[in-house]
Amino acid sequence: MADTVATVTLTINGREVTVPKGTTVLEAAKSVGIEIPTFCWHPKLKPVGACRICYVEIEKMPKLQVSCATEAMPGMVVNTESEKVKEGRKAVLEFILINHPLDCPTCDKGGECDLQDNTFAHGIDDSRFDFNKYRFIRERKSTFDDYRIGPEIVRNQNRCILCFKCVRANKEIFGEYDLGVFQGGNISEIDTAPGEKVDSIYSGNLVEICPVGALTNTDWRYKIRVWKTQQVKSVCSYCADGCNLTLWKERDKVYRVTSRRNDVIDEGWICDVGRYGYQLASVEGRLTTPLIKKGDKQVAATWEEAIGLIARKFREIKDKKGGVCIGGLISPQQDCEALLAFSKFFRTQLHSNNIDFRTEYKMLPEKESPYYSRLTSASFRIADIENSDTILVVGTNLIKEHPIVHLRVRKAVNQKGAKLYTLNPFTTKSGDLSRDEIVHVPGTLEAFLNGLCIGLAEKADGEGNVRAAELKARLEPNTTAKAAEICGISEARLNDLAEALRSAKKISIIVGELVSGSPAREAIAAAIHNLTVVLNLNERGQAAILSRAANSKGAERLGVMPSLSKELQQKLKSMWGGFPETEGRATDRMIHAAKKEELDALLIIGANPVASFPDGQFVREGLDKLDFTVVADLYETETTEKADVVLPLSSWVEQSGHFINLEGTMQRFEAAIKPVGNSRPGRQIIEDIAREFKGGLFADAHEIAREMQELLNVEPRPSFPDAVAEVKFAEEKIEKDYPYPLFVVDEMHHFGHLTERSRSLAAFAAEAQVEISPSLAEKLQIENGSLVRLESETGKLVLPAKISEMLDNDVILISRNFSGTAANMLQMRKKRIDRVRLIRVDEK
Amino acid sequence: MVDVIRTVFIALPKGFYTTLKHLFKKPVTIQYPKVKREMAPRYRGLHYLEVYEDGTDRCVCCGLCAAACPADAIYMEGAENEKGERYAKIYEINLLRCIYCGFCEEACPEEAIFLGHEYEFSNDNRDVFIFTKEQMLANRPKKEKPFKRIIRRVRRIF
Ligand code: SF4
Ligand code: SF4
Ligand code: SF4
Ligand code: SF4
Ligand code: FES
Repeated sequence: MADTVATVTLTINGREVTVPKGTTVLEAAKSVGIEIPTFCWHPKLKPVGACRICYVEIEKMPKLQVSCATEAMPGMVVNTESEKVKEGRKAVLEFILINHPLDCPTCDKGGECDLQDNTFAHGIDDSRFDFNKYRFIRERKSTFDDYRIGPEIVRNQNRCILCFKCVRANKEIFGEYDLGVFQGGNISEIDTAPGEKVDSIYSGNLVEICPVGALTNTDWRYKIRVWKTQQVKSVCSYCADGCNLTLWKERDKVYRVTSRRNDVIDEGWICDVGRYGYQLASVEGRLTTPLIKKGDKQVAATWEEAIGLIARKFREIKDKKGGVCIGGLISPQQDCEALLAFSKFFRTQLHSNNIDFRTEYKMLPEKESPYYSRLTSASFRIADIENSDTILVVGTNLIKEHPIVHLRVRKAVNQKGAKLYTLNPFTTKSGDLSRDEIVHVPGTLEAFLNGLCIGLAEKADGEGNVRAAELKARLEPNTTAKAAEICGISEARLNDLAEALRSAKKISIIVGELVSGSPAREAIAAAIHNLTVVLNLNERGQAAILSRAANSKGAERLGVMPSLSKELQQKLKSMWGGFPETEGRATDRMIHAAKKEELDALLIIGANPVASFPDGQFVREGLDKLDFTVVADLYETETTEKADVVLPLSSWVEQSGHFINLEGTMQRFEAAIKPVGNSRPGRQIIEDIAREFKGGLFADAHEIAREMQELLNVEPRPSFPDAVAEVKFAEEKIEKDYPYPLFVVDEMHHFGHLTERSRSLAAFAAEAQVEISPSLAEKLQIENGSLVRLESETGKLVLPAKISEMLDNDVILISRNFSGTAANMLQMRKKRIDRVRLIRVDEK
Repeated sequence: MVDVIRTVFIALPKGFYTTLKHLFKKPVTIQYPKVKREMAPRYRGLHYLEVYEDGTDRCVCCGLCAAACPADAIYMEGAENEKGERYAKIYEINLLRCIYCGFCEEACPEEAIFLGHEYEFSNDNRDVFIFTKEQMLANRPKKEKPFKRIIRRVRRIF
């Protein structure tokens, strides 16, 4: 039984209402369907009582009260529709409208504006004010006070009703301080802090919550009226958080994306990548027809020709050398249907296990690696983060990798008083929130975790302490002092963290791509596993390696990997009447095999390994050796350049399907527009090839849904067993010539290789930069924006430098999202940590 | 017999008298298309778009005319001009769908769209009935439509 929550009972409009203690009068009224107009109230923000439109009359109180900031008390008698209330609302509206312009015909909010609606419902239809309205004019040359406060946000102060929702959400929810209120009285102004721009990854939300047209964003601005659009339910196709979206479309164009609040996942906030990422569907340069390589050129062809050629070639290879000489890579941003069809095509028709969805990570394991898989398939709930009192974030720039998980962590820390610890090789934005931001020497994470386990075990008494001996035998380093020394962190900090974890009631351990992308992933996973054992996490929290892309989880659960868990394999075998016995190859080994001419053909759907796979040299050589490469994508990429057949792929706004987010929740998204040009959705492409090759994959849509469901019913993995894994830390040799650790990461406003095509996202960042810390910049005399040359053992790159105040150690971050910058050329496949030297380039 | 006499001597002259009487009156028939009739002030013919004194568009592409249109005859696409104002990049009326009800004129908050007195626009090609913004701007009458003033006055009262 849940603890009995104290309740209060009050009367609203003659009805008895019982609500939990602490509820406001407004929420109590809403809970029984009584509407009270609001402007400044927002379900996720603390009430401020700024607008006063939510007046209600409460018996025994002499004046009208603002319902959004008044707590419901036992025995209150509230009236929301009395004459006095109506008068009050009228007066408030008249007051708000004193200086409000008559902009409705030009204002983008017209038709969905709270002020319009409330004035229509509760206001008076005339003004008693005779004087000229106060006008904010910033630039004389424009008619309106329209002024960009960020790359994508236009502010019109005249329309602002000073509800402060934008400023409050920015601070309370997003932790940004780039927007504020300046001046006072009727010349109060919402503006950016001096020298700042509103360009955080959450900036689009401010537009969405503005109740009037004071903040508008440029994709929607002036283009369409809201009542002409239709709304389509969608799910974001970028990171694995799986935010729910609404696409607003008319005819064959999407005009904007807003959130579709889902309290379990996103709480109504989405990041800008999800908000503006839809734009990549309809910009110039989309591939609209299949291309076939003839001589040196790729020439346009029909679908029949292209599919026919693919089927013929695949059959040739299969007959001559076997299906195992064909490999497949598919993007984890494809829907579940496409992933399942892909796997079925390879396994039932080509009899090959060479499929993978991971094209960005080094040295992927062929085999099931127990601790790693256990952590990637561990159950994890975003909403449970806020119930934890201690949160440990390991190996991820969380705000970038999982913006919405970051917001939950923020909420847990700021509103519920949770303690956050971060453990990263460089400083990140989550550091602002944390009790201790631990920055370890790159490549020493498992040493630190070992130290932590030992520290914890030594602190434990009785049975736990027995474990210390066992741990000491199996771990290396095996004392806190040694571990601390290896990681470059003081022992005291390590012990503090151990103490915090020991005394915690509920713990969330969030692990990110700096672990899953590292060749040492198995050792780190084992160390984290030990931590969960020592902490007895089965009973007091959750720990998981979060999957990265929108459907990475789907790919794992549906088996788009070379080797599968026994249960999954069994299921597939019985479902499909057979399963190839041969061993499969992961991306890494596929490319290796191609280089050795053991793999002849590759079918790539939506992925761009040439630009993303670590070790650009390696992947380029491998792909050049292939006899036959088929690449399906939205645009021409480095990978399509190497293809024998290029197929135009539809984006996710042009098709419907399902994504499985990092929690394992399957969510459906609908098509908003028709496929652009002659492009086809991934699933259709695979089915077309299969039909031509041997025969259809699925009898009908029901069959695919049924197979999907059966696979998802396979329990991914049991909970953590109670045994300690062996973890020995081995140091990687550092070449003296290449001193600085390099991390190839996503740019804040980008995800994957296509978002640079979105006009809005390009407005935030359009080219790759080398991010370095101020101290490193000073040491090497590099200024912001000046060109630097990066050299690693395998490659060179010249790029502009960006001095990031966030960083404080000597690491180098470079973004992987831009086609002009092949950051993977600097990476080495077998190195755990890539290292480069950095040289300032003087102007030529 | 009596009937015949009555017809010949009374009814026939009476009839001819009426005919003769009208022979000398001014005819009501208009020799269209040589002669054209003056339309009533509130006649609703071909649309036109008004401009401000300085020649800039009055229409801001608010879409209210299209929303009011019972025939769904109006299509528009908005954009932003150099001054940061909203304007109609495309504004089209399908004259074949239009039922000349004048709702668009009444809905327009900017006094931009009006129905003029022009009624001669038959054609044998359907395509020319998509009336574009340029055509609507060119179609502006030299003399202001008198009813426009009435619309304005009415607006001011309410
Ligand atoms: S800009 Fe919008 S959200 Fe911000 S204070 Fe003004 S009305 Fe409120
Ligand atoms: S990229 Fe991730 S956080 Fe951003 S909207 Fe999409 S699912 Fe949400
Ligand atoms: S006159 Fe009537 S039918 Fe014709 S465009 Fe205007 S509103 Fe539509
Ligand atoms: S003609 Fe008038 S009602 Fe129609 S879009 Fe233009 S301003 Fe709006
Ligand atoms: S909604 Fe209550 S004061 Fe604004």
